[in-house]
Amino acid sequence: MLEVNKLSVRMQKQNLLEDISFQLNRGETLCIIGESGSGKTTLLRTLLGLIPMSQGSVMLESQVYQSPEQSQIGLPSTQIVMQDPIAALNPRQKIKCSIAESLYKLSLQAAEIDQAVKQALRDVELPEGMENRYPSQISLGQAQRVCIARAIVAKPGILFFDEPLSALDAIIQKQIAQLLYRLKKQNALSYIFVTHDLGFARHYADKILLLNNGKVEEYRDVNLFFQRPESRYGQELLEAAYILGSLPQKKTEEFRVA
Amino acid sequence: MVHQPCILTEIMSYFMSVFAFRNLVLPVQTKTLLKKHSIILLVFGFFAGLVFLGFFMTPYNPVETNFLNRLGSPSWQNWFGTDQMGRDIATRILYGAGWSVGLALIVSTAGAVIGTIIGLLAGSLGRLVDGFCMRMTDSFFAFPELIAAIVITGVLGPNTINMVIALILVSWMRFARLVRALTEDIKRRDYVIQAKLNKIPYYLVLSRHYLPNIILSVVVIWTSSWSRTILSISGLSFLGFGVQPPQAEWGAMLLDGKPYMLSAPHVMIFPGLAVLITVLTLNLMGDHLRDHLQALEK
Repeated sequence: MLEVNKLSVRMQKQNLLEDISFQLNRGETLCIIGESGSGKTTLLRTLLGLIPMSQGSVMLESQVYQSPEQSQIGLPSTQIVMQDPIAALNPRQKIKCSIAESLYKLSLQAAEIDQAVKQALRDVELPEGMENRYPSQISLGQAQRVCIARAIVAKPGILFFDEPLSALDAIIQKQIAQLLYRLKKQNALSYIFVTHDLGFARHYADKILLLNNGKVEEYRDVNLFFQRPESRYGQELLEAAYILGSLPQKKTEEFRVA
Repeated sequence: MVHQPCILTEIMSYFMSVFAFRNLVLPVQTKTLLKKHSIILLVFGFFAGLVFLGFFMTPYNPVETNFLNRLGSPSWQNWFGTDQMGRDIATRILYGAGWSVGLALIVSTAGAVIGTIIGLLAGSLGRLVDGFCMRMTDSFFAFPELIAAIVITGVLGPNTINMVIALILVSWMRFARLVRALTEDIKRRDYVIQAKLNKIPYYLVLSRHYLPNIILSVVVIWTSSWSRTILSISGLSFLGFGVQPPQAEWGAMLLDGKPYMLSAPHVMIFPGLAVLITVLTLNLMGDHLRDHLQALEK
């Protein structure tokens, strides 16, 4: 479905990303991991067309949609959920207006937009009447659900997540993770997560892309990566996570309860 | 006895219901603002109402002279006394409000609109537009405000319209700088990036995301700009560059009363007090708005 070939980003004479290649099939989840400054968010933004690439190509359904010659921002089949749900919502805009913005490029009628917004809010398990509130009137967990509703309302094929759980507490994290899993199963969505949370990546991902200094250290199946990382950097990362206790020894399916 | 509905009561109750908070379709923040700062808004409303009603209440003509009643002290007939030409000072102050406060309102609003547009363009468009707009702002900032206004009015000719043009030309930069800084900040917010990804047209991003998030800060600066412009207009009129006699403008009234400062101080005291109270009220209103804004941000 999504194919990234030798993607490189060079800015101010510095290589931010170098020769990044990976594939993502329909219904798969890819977690991009690595330390801060390794280029995870840069990669995400380049895939979305917000940062121009200097080499390589990004193909979606066998068609080139990002290349050095051609950069497209905001394809209907892609949406993003940001890290801080409150910052991702305009404080002066009602929830329904925020969600309806994702439908703008579909040129729908007002009644259809209204219906789609209500359906999206039901999909993310938010109560009736939420659409008329302002972001300051809802909790952090509800705000993240609104952001997810905004992302799924246009029925995208791929959802990008930039550390979507890091601003939330553990219980809400679990609820959101379960919600995302259910939505993925229902709508055959593909997910690309940027995360620091190795525990989450282990439980949730199908594939792992490990970045270090803008280069791919490892791109492997999640079980193979966590059983025996091939790169020295991958081994160090897992060791550190085990020592800190942020990565459990055993994999749990708890996240995958729909 | 059957109660007969009075038309006046009906009208009053209609307006009461229109202005009742529960019936106003306003964001929660605005409702809180109106509730919390109702006192200063009432004071401002009282003065505004007084000025408006004053036109209908006063029996005197503000420019009609009466040499039999020159420099009369405050009395029941002339509450604030009369000036050197026998004109009623209270009437002139009420009419003068239209010139001082009204012109200042026009100037500060025009400055706010121009500055906001320039700041929005500079902050939201690319480096080229930003560089051009900000260098232009810097060059306008290089001249002291009042001196520049005096020079422009001097060159164009001392009359009211030229004074308004001059003051607009020197009042927009403050808004442009503020709005540009706020826009730069909002540009990096996730919801603006999201709007970009959703291909929302530029004019909609401006009206939905930028403007609603900067407008309260602009209003704060606008109130202080309004009060500062009242002083500038009074100052320019006092120097003879602004509103020309016989029009009743507070600064011009001060200029007219200067020779009689010691023999008939009321000729200068009341216009001076009018300037003081108005500027103070507007500044306090600006302070309340700023406090409200800070509370909102927390």
